[in-house]
Amino acid sequence: MAGLTGSADRRSMLLSCFLDGELTPDELEEVVALLETDLDAIAEFRSLQAVRRSIRTLPTLAVPPSLVPGGHLGEELSAYLDGELSTQEMPAVVTHLETCTDCRAELADLDRSRTAVRALPGLETPTFLAVERDLRDSKRRRIMWPAAAAAGGVAAAALAFTVGFGGGSEPTSIDVADLQTRHAAVASVPAGTTSGFEVSNR
Amino acid sequence: MTAVLYRSGVVGATLAVVLVVGMPSASADDLADMLDRSHGSTYSATRLTVSVWGDQTKVTKERVEHVDGAEMIRVDETWSMIGNGRSVRMGEAPEGIAFMAESEPIATDRYVLGDATACSHMRRPCTLFPIVEGDLTRAHVIVDDRTGAPLITYIYDDAGRTFRTISLSDFSPHRTYEWSSDPSVVPYEVVMQADPDVVPSAIAEYALVDVFPGPSDRSEQGFYSDGLFTFSLFALPSGTVVGGFEDQQSLVTPSGVYDATLTAANVRVRWISGGTAYVLVGDLPPDHLEAVLAELPPPTKDGMLARLWRALFG
Repeated sequence: MAGLTGSADRRSMLLSCFLDGELTPDELEEVVALLETDLDAIAEFRSLQAVRRSIRTLPTLAVPPSLVPGGHLGEELSAYLDGELSTQEMPAVVTHLETCTDCRAELADLDRSRTAVRALPGLETPTFLAVERDLRDSKRRRIMWPAAAAAGGVAAAALAFTVGFGGGSEPTSIDVADLQTRHAAVASVPAGTTSGFEVSNR
Repeated sequence: MTAVLYRSGVVGATLAVVLVVGMPSASADDLADMLDRSHGSTYSATRLTVSVWGDQTKVTKERVEHVDGAEMIRVDETWSMIGNGRSVRMGEAPEGIAFMAESEPIATDRYVLGDATACSHMRRPCTLFPIVEGDLTRAHVIVDDRTGAPLITYIYDDAGRTFRTISLSDFSPHRTYEWSSDPSVVPYEVVMQADPDVVPSAIAEYALVDVFPGPSDRSEQGFYSDGLFTFSLFALPSGTVVGGFEDQQSLVTPSGVYDATLTAANVRVRWISGGTAYVLVGDLPPDHLEAVLAELPPPTKDGMLARLWRALFG
């Protein structure tokens, strides 16, 4: 703080250093005295506090994933879909997915691809969809795929029965925009009243 | 302190201002009068809604005519009307839906009104109302003193960041548009109230206000409100194909991964749990949405037959 001769400059520097926790005991006493007696010092102190609070509450900028070496999820996405993440791994993966658009998109693509491919009985997963797994996963795959193939056969039989003999009633199709309209209409009723519809309008 | 609120929030394409009562700075009667004025006010404006979902910003611009508790909304060249339990889409073959609701006032102590401050906006005398949820300021609303219209609404997330801004511009304190046809002669689908079957009675401080049959057999709509925000939970048979999620995203929460479409005014989420397909639509802020989803049945994997069906038929 050498070289500060003006009292206002010195006061500002003292207050700033006080907020930074950088004062010596003597300087601290000086600041306390200032804040007890000097209205200008009090006003400046409050102003400094407000500025710093504003800075602290500025939204933090996430580092773009592309700038983080190895920052994207790879096989963890697959393990996530399979419910194979450990309790230690899960929070980190969920946190990353909350902030990484790329990985969310990849997760959605992976989920859709798997659903579509697995739904086709008797088909192996195409190699371009295969995810490299470690030895532990390889063991699991050896156990699971025969079961999946068997389930696929059952599904194919069920499909043949449904389409060939069941007549196949089509599933109901609804657009979410219709549901949105229904919600908006219900939400527009003022509480404690009866909706103002007159049946004679039908 | 219990406050009596309107059922629909300040937000989105629903109606007017929703404010609460009980701070020393404003009496209950004053606020009730103001709410009545707001609900019945007449104005026209361009409404801009901006929502920030994580790293995405969604914007909606629409023309609104607020008359007698109803809103006529124009997006592009299409007009629709929402109000008093009715929704009508105008056009060459206008059609509508009407919900026969007879509900009690929503009682909640989730929100309180902070000290009102006189201010000016668009050269109009206004009042700024903070809406406080616990230790969090959940919203600020600037209300036009003359009409009661909510000129600007700021809604914040649980970190205090602005999540949604709804602002009116090109504001006129009167009606500027005449209907090309009379909405009172539109054919309506009438929906009566029902008893709840699947939907829970309360979710994450949101109360079940009304239950209606859903849009298909064996389906149900539960309407929830906490006095400020609202959502509907639709429980549908698991085979139901819910379209309109073409630009869907994966919404990842601790309770699971959901299909979601995020817009400026609302969120739409779908998932399957057990034998039921769920769709949630509403204007919830992100932290409320996560809390609500955490208390609902989590997404479960489709069975092989269900995946097969979906792959074949969509």
